[in-house]
Amino acid sequence: MTALLDKAPLGVAVRIARIDWNAMTDDEGRRLREFGLMEGVEVTPLHRGSIFSRDPLALAVGRMRVIIRARQAAMIAVEAAEAERQSA
Amino acid sequence: MTGAIPTIALVGNPNAGKSSLFNALTGARQKIANYPGVTVERKAGHASFADGRPISLIDLPGSYSLTPASPDEAVTRDVILGRQDGEKRPDALVVVLDAANLDNHLCFALELIALGLPTVVALNMLDLATRDGLTLDPERLSKELGVPVVPTVAVRKRGLAELLAALDGAIRTQPARTEAGAAGKAAPSDTSLHQRARAIARAATLAETPVRRWTQRVDAVVLHPVAGFLILLALMFVMFQAVYAWAGPPADLLEGAVGVMQQWVIAAIPENFLRDLVVEGLLAGVGAVVVFLPQILILFLFILLLEASGYMTRAAFLMDGLMAKVGLSGRGFIPLLSSFACAVPGIMATRAIPDAKDRLTTILIAPLMTCSARLPVYALIIAAFIPDRGVGGTNIGLQGLVLFGLYLSGIVGALLVAFALRRTVAKGDAAGFMMEMPRYQMPQWRDLLLGLWQRAWIFLRRAGTIIAMTTVILWLLLSFPKAPIGESQVEYSVAGRIASGLEVIVKPIGFNHDIALALIPAMAAREVAVSAMATANAIDADGDEDAMAQSLGERLQGKWSIATALAFLAWFVFAPQCISTIAITRRETNGWKWPMFMVGYLFLLAYAAAGITYWTAVAFGLG
Ligand SMILES: Nc1nc2c(ncn2[C@@H]2O[C@H](COP(=O)(O)OP(=O)(O)OP(=O)(O)O)[C@@H](O)[C@H]2O)c(=O)[nH]1
Ligand SMILES: [Mg+2]
Repeated sequence: MTALLDKAPLGVAVRIARIDWNAMTDDEGRRLREFGLMEGVEVTPLHRGSIFSRDPLALAVGRMRVIIRARQAAMIAVEAAEAERQSA
Repeated sequence: MTGAIPTIALVGNPNAGKSSLFNALTGARQKIANYPGVTVERKAGHASFADGRPISLIDLPGSYSLTPASPDEAVTRDVILGRQDGEKRPDALVVVLDAANLDNHLCFALELIALGLPTVVALNMLDLATRDGLTLDPERLSKELGVPVVPTVAVRKRGLAELLAALDGAIRTQPARTEAGAAGKAAPSDTSLHQRARAIARAATLAETPVRRWTQRVDAVVLHPVAGFLILLALMFVMFQAVYAWAGPPADLLEGAVGVMQQWVIAAIPENFLRDLVVEGLLAGVGAVVVFLPQILILFLFILLLEASGYMTRAAFLMDGLMAKVGLSGRGFIPLLSSFACAVPGIMATRAIPDAKDRLTTILIAPLMTCSARLPVYALIIAAFIPDRGVGGTNIGLQGLVLFGLYLSGIVGALLVAFALRRTVAKGDAAGFMMEMPRYQMPQWRDLLLGLWQRAWIFLRRAGTIIAMTTVILWLLLSFPKAPIGESQVEYSVAGRIASGLEVIVKPIGFNHDIALALIPAMAAREVAVSAMATANAIDADGDEDAMAQSLGERLQGKWSIATALAFLAWFVFAPQCISTIAITRRETNGWKWPMFMVGYLFLLAYAAAGITYWTAVAFGLG
């Protein structure tokens, strides 16, 4: 079961299944990878949006916190993380 | 080595503590703050090895790789690869790592080590790693990386001697290997490099307890869509209330001191040209500006606290939605907030914005953020025309509220202008927003005090140089030619006549002769508006004991209508009265086109805003 990171519930760790690199610019893709966002990595969406909009999205990637926009999150497909799958 | 002084660059991810380390090693006072993208240009300094041999250290903007995404990161790449014009390539590197974020920071480190320069790794922020429950093995890390690793805590000056010793050793023993196009070969965006980085991090981590939860609990509130925004507003609000509530006593003290000095000079020097220059020009003029030092320092204390704690990126997160609506990103909120201090560093800080159009727009609207040079002008007029009382029987000061309103008008104006610019001259794709969010930190008191001291010094130096100079020149222009008995000296003088010419243009928006006189010299620095009026009034009051005893505010109160005062405030929200801002815009946009555009649109806005304010106020019977 995969879903888009854009819609993933907050506070639940997920594993990145696929990233649609072609849908984004080279710079965007590179910065995502530099943040450690790539296939196989576990991330936890933490905070989403403000009173102004649903953007942006704050994620935990390992010990790092990063902020990305929903547009990029929508290009990232995620699946249940290892631990979640076992407990399910 | 050829006997020349070795050049050593500090390089690493943003917010790893490079500038802290640089300051600790060189005694410099580079800006340090807890968000990525603080350093935006190359800075050099001197240090020495234990035996006294000198070295030249270079502090660089943080970067994630040698492939830059923004202008500041391009500087880092150019310096490291020796492409910077007129600069030789560094002889060695100190790669600064955040010990609590090895997974990520090792990627850039691996890319840098692969360059083949003599390299030492500073395993910085070890104290934070410990706080977060990590136990690391520097020796193992060193073995995996193939270069010396020295644990450091830059803010406590720990590990500095060891770092220098390791560096000395590295320069001696690691010959610069010829790199076969190593740059870009192992870019940190490679999956394989990330896997290697993670493997090394795992190997070097002896123990790991789960992350402390308190930062998450703080963020749950601070980043909450509603509560978080209210907290942001409340912070700003408290900041402006404090500017008034706390500054009173020290400001009175300064004002008293200026008065005593005037009396003293009057008593000590016989009536002559020099005495008038000192009493009316320097003491009245510059003194009128200096009394605002306490308010400026309170404002800076708040900004420094926000920057040091890590709140800045949270504010960027909260504001991103609004910024996106006008075509900017939350990233731009940080330079804009810095512009509360001064637009010049604010405009410099836009170098960390990746998108060129996004950056240009942020530069063009930065002067709309109320910089601290406007504070004396606002404070003077508010103190004179807005009653000092609570709002609706509460303790909330009306004066602080009006000040808050002026800052808000600047922000709202900036957003509206950005909206217009992004649809016209700075058209482009929607800007992205990708940013790392640092951990919270307890602000370092030493850094705070140092920051405040620096700001106080900058302010006093401005007062002693540009403000004093403009005021003295203005005093001369106001004192000659001497008016015949019965005529106003101010109106009769050269400056007075020029002002009368200008008055024709600004009369429709409610400006009087006082204001017309202050507008031109205030181009040099906004505070001069205050010193200019103080000087003109001192000349007017010459010899008149009662008038001398009145404060500038009290005298303005007698001469201006409220509508005029409000129009004057509205003018200062928008007017581009600052030569340094124009100069830095020219530098950062490489040409005169954008600074000219900026000056033009700001003057138009200022005129319109002052006019609308004046006419509205008159319509309400405040003329
Ligand atoms: N606890 C702790 N904090 C540190 C240490 N070194 C730096 N800091 C803090 O980390 C933050 C970032 O420090 P800077 O020196 O500005 O980082 P930088 O690498 O120069 O950052 P950029 O210029 O943005 O790339 C500041 O809040 C410092 O006070 C350390 O060893 N321990
Ligand atoms: Mg720095």
